[in-house]
Amino acid sequence: MTALARIALVLALLAYPFVDRVLGLQTVHAVSDGMIYMLLALGLNIVVGYAGLLDLGYAAFFAIGAYAMGLLNSPVLGSPLYGHAWSFWVCIWVAAAVSALLGLVIGAPTLRVRGDYLAIITLGFGEIIPVAIRNLGDVTIEIGGWRPIERLNLTGGENGVNPVGRPHLPGVPFETDPIPWYFLILVIGALSVWAMSRLRDSRLGRAWMAIREDETAADCTGVNPVSTKLLAFALGASFSGFAGSVYAAKLQAITPGAFEFQVSIMLLCMVVLGGAGSIRGVILGAMLITIFDRVVLSQTTFLVRAIGRASGISALTTIDLTLWRWFFFGLGLVLVMLLRPQGLAGRRVRPVAAETDDDAVVPETPAVTPRKEAIPAWLRARAGGVDGNEAVLDVRGLTKAFGGVMALNAVDLAVPRGAIIGLIGPNGAGKTTFFNVVTGLIRPDEGHITFAGTSLVGLRPNAIVARGIARTFQSIRLFPLMSVLDNVLVGEHCRLASTVPGAVFRPPSVIAEERRARERARELLAFVGLAGKDDDLARNLPYGDQRRLEIARALATEPRLLLLDEPTAGMNPRETDTLTDLIGLLRRELSLSILLIEHDMEVVMGISDRVSVLDYGTRIAEGTPAEIQRHPRVIEAYLGTGYEAEAAGRNAPR
Amino acid sequence: MGGLHQAPHFHMTGWEILVQQTINGLTRGAVFALIALGYTMVYGIIELINFAHGDVFMLGLFISLAWFALLGVTGVLTGWKLLTLLPLVFVLTMLTTAALNVAIDRIAYRPLRRSPRLAPLITAIGVSFMLENVALLWKGPAPIAYPDVFPSVDILREWFGIDSAIFLTTKDILVIGTTIPLMIGLHYFVTRTRWGKAMRATAQDRETAQAMGIDVERTILITFFVGGALAGAAGLIQGMYYNIGMWWMGYQAGLRAFTAAVLGGIGSMSGAALGGLVIGFLSAWSDQYISARWTNAIVFSILIVVLVFRPRGLLGEASADKA
Repeated sequence: MTALARIALVLALLAYPFVDRVLGLQTVHAVSDGMIYMLLALGLNIVVGYAGLLDLGYAAFFAIGAYAMGLLNSPVLGSPLYGHAWSFWVCIWVAAAVSALLGLVIGAPTLRVRGDYLAIITLGFGEIIPVAIRNLGDVTIEIGGWRPIERLNLTGGENGVNPVGRPHLPGVPFETDPIPWYFLILVIGALSVWAMSRLRDSRLGRAWMAIREDETAADCTGVNPVSTKLLAFALGASFSGFAGSVYAAKLQAITPGAFEFQVSIMLLCMVVLGGAGSIRGVILGAMLITIFDRVVLSQTTFLVRAIGRASGISALTTIDLTLWRWFFFGLGLVLVMLLRPQGLAGRRVRPVAAETDDDAVVPETPAVTPRKEAIPAWLRARAGGVDGNEAVLDVRGLTKAFGGVMALNAVDLAVPRGAIIGLIGPNGAGKTTFFNVVTGLIRPDEGHITFAGTSLVGLRPNAIVARGIARTFQSIRLFPLMSVLDNVLVGEHCRLASTVPGAVFRPPSVIAEERRARERARELLAFVGLAGKDDDLARNLPYGDQRRLEIARALATEPRLLLLDEPTAGMNPRETDTLTDLIGLLRRELSLSILLIEHDMEVVMGISDRVSVLDYGTRIAEGTPAEIQRHPRVIEAYLGTGYEAEAAGRNAPR
Repeated sequence: MGGLHQAPHFHMTGWEILVQQTINGLTRGAVFALIALGYTMVYGIIELINFAHGDVFMLGLFISLAWFALLGVTGVLTGWKLLTLLPLVFVLTMLTTAALNVAIDRIAYRPLRRSPRLAPLITAIGVSFMLENVALLWKGPAPIAYPDVFPSVDILREWFGIDSAIFLTTKDILVIGTTIPLMIGLHYFVTRTRWGKAMRATAQDRETAQAMGIDVERTILITFFVGGALAGAAGLIQGMYYNIGMWWMGYQAGLRAFTAAVLGGIGSMSGAALGGLVIGFLSAWSDQYISARWTNAIVFSILIVVLVFRPRGLLGEASADKA
């Protein structure tokens, strides 16, 4: 949006209610109500659009916000709060806080539940809360004839809370005029959009999107999925607290019927219709649905009848389209989704710069030989010199069984500081399981994993990343709908410190941290040979570039040990050579320890200091590459008898 | 659906109330289970929460009513008419709702197979609105009386001469006697036939199934067909049992049935059947012993507790997240 368009928009928003008054349209009330739903949809967008958590009970938060306002500002007869009405300006913050708290309560089961099971839990809360509000209007507790509580009215029951107090500002007629309401909601809405867009572009916003794109990969990149998801629920809910309290005060009455499942569904439709994850899209979706609901259906009835009268078709003159309201609404949803499955605001998840060719496939960069000078200075500073030969990673007796299959059977493995250790073996030998256990994705049945002197067993993957172990995946696991730069920035997540208030208010320390993080990410991209691709979507990169991006993301976590799972799989010989050079460079210059799973024997035997061989979960051999190539059991189990004859080893079994 | 069960006699003893409510729970649960199967099969194969499914059930009730009217049935069926017309209406209703369900998939879901996951969810919601509106315009806003086509006999008194306050009728037998064969048939279909095997393979891994030569689109079509047929049967049973139908009943029944599918472990067919029964029992007992107005809250609270301790439902398989 250009500056001119921006100013025009602000002026239009400011002038609108006065134009409405002059023209006598009387639409300000309806527009203000629509803006409340827009705010709700934006709050839901944090949960659904950013964090990718399907929430089918968002109206529960709306209800809690409205009832927090209702009960504090106009206590229901019989409630303990009766007679102590609080000011609107206090209640609105209390409502947001209470909603956020409920967000944590509803979010808590997500610690264990994934995907659509989470959706049904939110749906459950969405059903429970209106039922509770209805029934708590008349509470009687009877214990054997003794009634400590009799017909206590906590929530107003089916009749709701009426009246709810209005805000007071000297000289502002909230009682009689819709215009102050319009401006109150406009201010709250504008501040919310401002806060949301800042959250989106922060460390936390990137963590949300990483969770949405691939929770496991995010966990293994240092993002704590538990706290990240809980924050999405709590912050998403807090905005509905504002919306709910303004709604209650504006209507001056609330009933439980206003917070049913249908409201949650309508809000979800607004978010998805416009384009989940895009603030502009959600506003568009909310506007469309509100306008369709309130204006189009009632007005078209008049229109169709007028056409009928004019053209003499009697069937049209008596038609009542409002009876078809839900049919056309449903049809609208179906048609929009069929025509634009990604939502009206397009596929771009974070509309940053160019809106146009954002989904174009990026041409492959020629593999550049990594240069020593290109190693980012900060990464070098973190590395520290080689001191001694003690093991960075020391694994002893690691055992893991899946059912009756021994994936790992008492495996010992040590990675000395600054060493490259190869891990080879036939498919299904337990190599990737070994990685998964070391990185915390799978708990071992038995065994010790010691990293730099402390045990890793029982730690979550993101905590292990924070201690200095980074990994890549056999089948590349990037965050496909995030930009290349953001992928690397997620890697830096665990080394950054900005908090929620920091993300919103951006004090100088946060600005400096963010600038430094971006510089570092660009340097890393340049180092792996992806300079200038910052804004491309990760999924549009060619295969070899994706592999290199994954390594850049792993390096961004500032690891001391790097686990690479078949880094050269699917690469052409030239790309393989470049990558081998890169790995060697990392070890030489940064004294980074590297554990490498690889099927390309030329690569493994060429750069590894020592090689361990797994077969059926058991380590059958360990030694220098030369020893391993002669080892009879390795030849039998993996390399094959023809191996020694083939000098290049290109045809090693995969 | 709440509140439509048979109210217990007021002079019942404690255990008679329990037995009566358990019978109520069983019949309710059987209907939930039939609907839940449709949810779970569709979810298992295309990972879509098919919001419109509850409304297919609701339309099943009205469609069966239309078939009865077309065949001239307005009162209780007896003798050979019962033995011929009732199965005929079952088949006709099931075919109609199956065709409807397939049409919904073709129009609203199939073009979105490769779209973001939320897109078909929204079209499902849209279709649900449309179906409800169609029923509203077709049958009007008031509840519709469903004729008493199935003979109702108080079994304990009239057949066994036991004077009990417990009210067990031939209609209860009808519900169980139709649900169980349908489920056995489904089980046979899924485990023994070529199409059933294709369904299970596609549910496990769509791409591999495709690579093995399974026509995935045809398999999805069959899934919607079978799910729609079961929802139609559930609608017919519901109508004959409770003798009433409302255009808005699909929403509540669908919600309970979907809950049942999740409780049992979504994607698992035996889980859906079990979940349906559990929800049926829970809601009947809660109506009796706590209060009907709290039943929805109680059902969902139990669901949440179950999911927290068994994140994949009662019979759902734990799938390790592979790196």
